[in-house]
Amino acid sequence: MSEENWIEVGSTDSIEEEDLIRFDHQDKTFCVYKLTDGFYATDGICTHEAVHLEDGLVMDDEIECPMHQGIFNIKSGEALSPPACEDLKTYPVKVDNNKIFIKID
Amino acid sequence: MKNNIIILGGGQAGVYAAREIRQNDSKSNIKILGEENLLPYERPPLSKDFLLDKKKEEDLCFHSSDVLKNENIEFENISITKVDFENKKLFTKNDDVYIYDSLLISTGSENKKLTLDNNLKNDIYYLRNLEEAKKIKELVSNKNKITIIGGGFIGLEIASSLSQLQKKVIVIEIGNQLMGRIIPKQIADLVQNTHIEHGNEIILTKQIEKITKKNGDYEILLNDNSLIETDFIIAGIGSTPTVKLFENTNLKLDNGIVTNQFCETSIKDVYAAGDVSNFYHPLYERNMRLESYQHAQNHGICAGKNIAGVKTEYISIPWMWSDQFNLNLQLTGICNDYDEIIERGNDINNGVIYFFLKNKIIRGACGLGIAGKIGRDIRITSKLSEKNTIVDKQILSDQNQKLNKLIQK
Repeated sequence: MSEENWIEVGSTDSIEEEDLIRFDHQDKTFCVYKLTDGFYATDGICTHEAVHLEDGLVMDDEIECPMHQGIFNIKSGEALSPPACEDLKTYPVKVDNNKIFIKID
Repeated sequence: MKNNIIILGGGQAGVYAAREIRQNDSKSNIKILGEENLLPYERPPLSKDFLLDKKKEEDLCFHSSDVLKNENIEFENISITKVDFENKKLFTKNDDVYIYDSLLISTGSENKKLTLDNNLKNDIYYLRNLEEAKKIKELVSNKNKITIIGGGFIGLEIASSLSQLQKKVIVIEIGNQLMGRIIPKQIADLVQNTHIEHGNEIILTKQIEKITKKNGDYEILLNDNSLIETDFIIAGIGSTPTVKLFENTNLKLDNGIVTNQFCETSIKDVYAAGDVSNFYHPLYERNMRLESYQHAQNHGICAGKNIAGVKTEYISIPWMWSDQFNLNLQLTGICNDYDEIIERGNDINNGVIYFFLKNKIIRGACGLGIAGKIGRDIRITSKLSEKNTIVDKQILSDQNQKLNKLIQK
């Protein structure tokens, strides 16, 4: 894991608890979440149809797609409820000096 | 104890019930009897991504045969022609017999058909199942001017898809607005404008007097004496619950199979779920019949729990969606029983939602926006309405204020 793959997302207070922000980097788009026990990151686009999860509802450890209510576990990316059936990719997150970083492969 | 559980109807409600039963009961035999020679599949893409060739047949199944096999759920493609509730038996036309201890009826609903001259019966196309979608997809490829009779969800979704395939589309609706059975006029008008902007013609408040076949094309005469020339006709004029099999039995029918909040019918050990069921909803204190993806799934799951002995009330808040062009329409709760309307947003790019309140409590909401823009607020509305939360109207009407603050934990 090389250091240069850690990309700065923003400050830790840029996300409210149990909420998310969208983060775009180069040609990719992500969602970065603040849950009660820390920060997490997933791909930004729902695996069911091409809609961004930035407008979805975060409940506990889950993100619900705003278009068709497919549900994913934010920590594991597991698709929990149809119409979503393909898992969402997740990314490592670290916090350093009140800044959030995600590791993009 | 090992039981024979039969699920009559191989759609979404049936397969979700089967899997839920298995979650709670590892021993019983579970068999789904389906009339289509296909494992249960998703219908929403048929009028959209399937017509547009973005989704293929193999993308549609809910679960692979391996999933069902691993859970020891049998699927059989067979048509039942007679039911003997007293002796708990189902018969095929060849008099093959299926014996059950518990029966779930999830036969769904079927398209209403236009009353027409017999010579034209094979000229009007309907879309409910994969076979019909395949036929329409193949036949429209060399047609240019297509008329859709009925301005409901299915007709408008097909109109949107065909417009994207560069077809000239005309929609004829008998009512004075689109989707009039459940969608509020405010949202229906926004949808209508979008169709018109994309070149579709929308004709409201007109009835069809006569359809005449001319050299392979058609002339449709409307009740204002106007004439529409078209080369293909699709009708989407609503549906009725599939209950013919039960008409001369003791099963209580009234706009579908009447069930209580536990999916139980009037006959012991017989349950019904999904489109076919006219179920009691404890929150609204009345019976209702719903035709939607979320309902088929959740009602099936609820029936599965009850069949497996886990007594569970069905209290899911109705929710449905329709995708047309780049817009996503969503409705939650009920939007026709209210004393106050609150509007949130006025631009479909950011989403527009109308909330319907009664005695200060949200009964329902309907919204429209570019894909995804209204989903979170509609979902929060479901939660608020489920808990009968009295809400701050100023927050509801202000798009800059997040609604998740209103959810009480």
